[in-house]
Amino acid sequence: MKIRIDKSACVGNARCANISEELFPLDDDGYIKVTEVDVPPGMEQLAKRGARACPERVIHIIEE
Amino acid sequence: MTESKLSAAVATPDHVPASLVYDFDYYHDPALCADPHMRVMDLLKSAPPIFWTPRNNGHWVLAGHSANFEAARDVEAFSSEIFPRDQMAELLAQLEETMGRIPLAVPINLDPPMHTKYRQPLQKVFSPKTINALSGSIRALAVELIDEIVDKGQCEFMTAMAEPLPVQVFLKMLGLPLERLAEYRELVSEHLSSVDSSNAILTMQKVVAAMRDTIIERRDNPQDDILSMLWKVEIDGAPVSLEDMENYAILLFIAGLDTVMQGMGHGFRHLALNPDLQDELRAEPEKIKQASEEMLRRYTFTVPPRRVSRDMEFQGVSMKKDERALLYLPAADLDAREFAEPDSFNMSRERAHIAFNAGPHRCLGSHLARVELQIVYEEFLARMPKFKLDPKRPPTFHGGHVLGVDTLHLVWEV
Ligand code: HEM
Ligand code: SF4
Repeated sequence: MKIRIDKSACVGNARCANISEELFPLDDDGYIKVTEVDVPPGMEQLAKRGARACPERVIHIIEE
Repeated sequence: MTESKLSAAVATPDHVPASLVYDFDYYHDPALCADPHMRVMDLLKSAPPIFWTPRNNGHWVLAGHSANFEAARDVEAFSSEIFPRDQMAELLAQLEETMGRIPLAVPINLDPPMHTKYRQPLQKVFSPKTINALSGSIRALAVELIDEIVDKGQCEFMTAMAEPLPVQVFLKMLGLPLERLAEYRELVSEHLSSVDSSNAILTMQKVVAAMRDTIIERRDNPQDDILSMLWKVEIDGAPVSLEDMENYAILLFIAGLDTVMQGMGHGFRHLALNPDLQDELRAEPEKIKQASEEMLRRYTFTVPPRRVSRDMEFQGVSMKKDERALLYLPAADLDAREFAEPDSFNMSRERAHIAFNAGPHRCLGSHLARVELQIVYEEFLARMPKFKLDPKRPPTFHGGHVLGVDTLHLVWEV
């Protein structure tokens, strides 16, 4: 599973990192740092929860 | 609240079909002032998701979730500059001739790209990192306030907790002298009663005057506080000016005090009405984080205003340039199309709410607000026995841009 993040639309409210700091690392200003993440096996549920938690809905799950 | 308090209804413009007209005075609606979120639930059932009300000079209300979400993110169509920029400049120039400099709460009232320039520097100041560093001192302040009332068996929660805590956090965070707490509390209450009236500008000027000496002092002798941090930021590559600093100070005063206060008011009323929830959270404090989040959704309470920037069709509704539209976020977060059984309190919801709005203006203080609210729930529940509403003095509320609690009398056994 992969996550794609529409970084330009992130407004920096860290709801994703609140679910998992490992999957959704933030920069010093609190914006998401990455645009694409390969979800390690076993973390698929966390990835989905992170995507649902984003108020801006900019985190997209790409099922493989 | 009596009928006579309602603002006069104005004639509905021709382009608004009768099917979209719904009579709602967002300040004085009697049911809203009696029990705000009960009325909001009713509004969702009885009014269209986007409607026109003839009250308060006539304006749009976006009630549905999808209307709010889309409008909040379309800052070109829905401007935060409530008067067009040239009109605003003229108005300000006129007022300043007699009143002196008027501080402006940038960037909440600006559109991109100007908005971005003024918001960007604040982002670091309010990042999760900076705020988490404050949580120890916020907890100490909360405990102090609770200690003062725990033996009394009763309190008026708004004056005992909900108002002093955010004000103290504000002073501490900005680096303003704590000895002047009383003066600032006075200014806050003056601000709350003058909001949306012509005295509002005067109050803002007083707030700035109260802070000016500390602001200047921090420029010359930086310390470990937000005023000192803000002096180091650059706006569009240029150093901040004293005027920018005053604007930021006003912004934080307006955005960060009344809001946290009302978040606590609605949350503690819910807890007082639901002793089982109190028990559950006392037994499992790790659930408080989710509970606090669900409180924000269940009792979303801010109503940001917008100006329609051009003639347009929005979700099938024809709107005209310079009409006003309210983002009625309290309704968005109670919309059954988005949240199943919206009026039930359900801590396991995962869908994000928009109590802090969405899009470029999304609340910058959300981390701070969340930390303050969570700490208050934790410490209050840990230190207080079961509390309930005082049956003799039921809570009172107000409408407007912040659906608020005026008084909340709680009682407990000592
Ligand atoms: C539970 C408490 C709070 C709620 C519900 C809340 C809600 C909101 C909302 C809905 C907006 C968007 C306004 C708009 O779209 O026009 C906003 C903006 C803002 N809030 Fe908060 N707020 C809270 C607490 C705070 C705190 C504690 C601070 C800081 C001290 C703060 C600072 C700001 C700032 C600076 C903005 C302007 C952001 C911009 O325009 O880019 N807020 N808030
Ligand atoms: S939750 Fe969404 S908007 Fe917030 S930081 Fe994460 S990606 Fe950005």
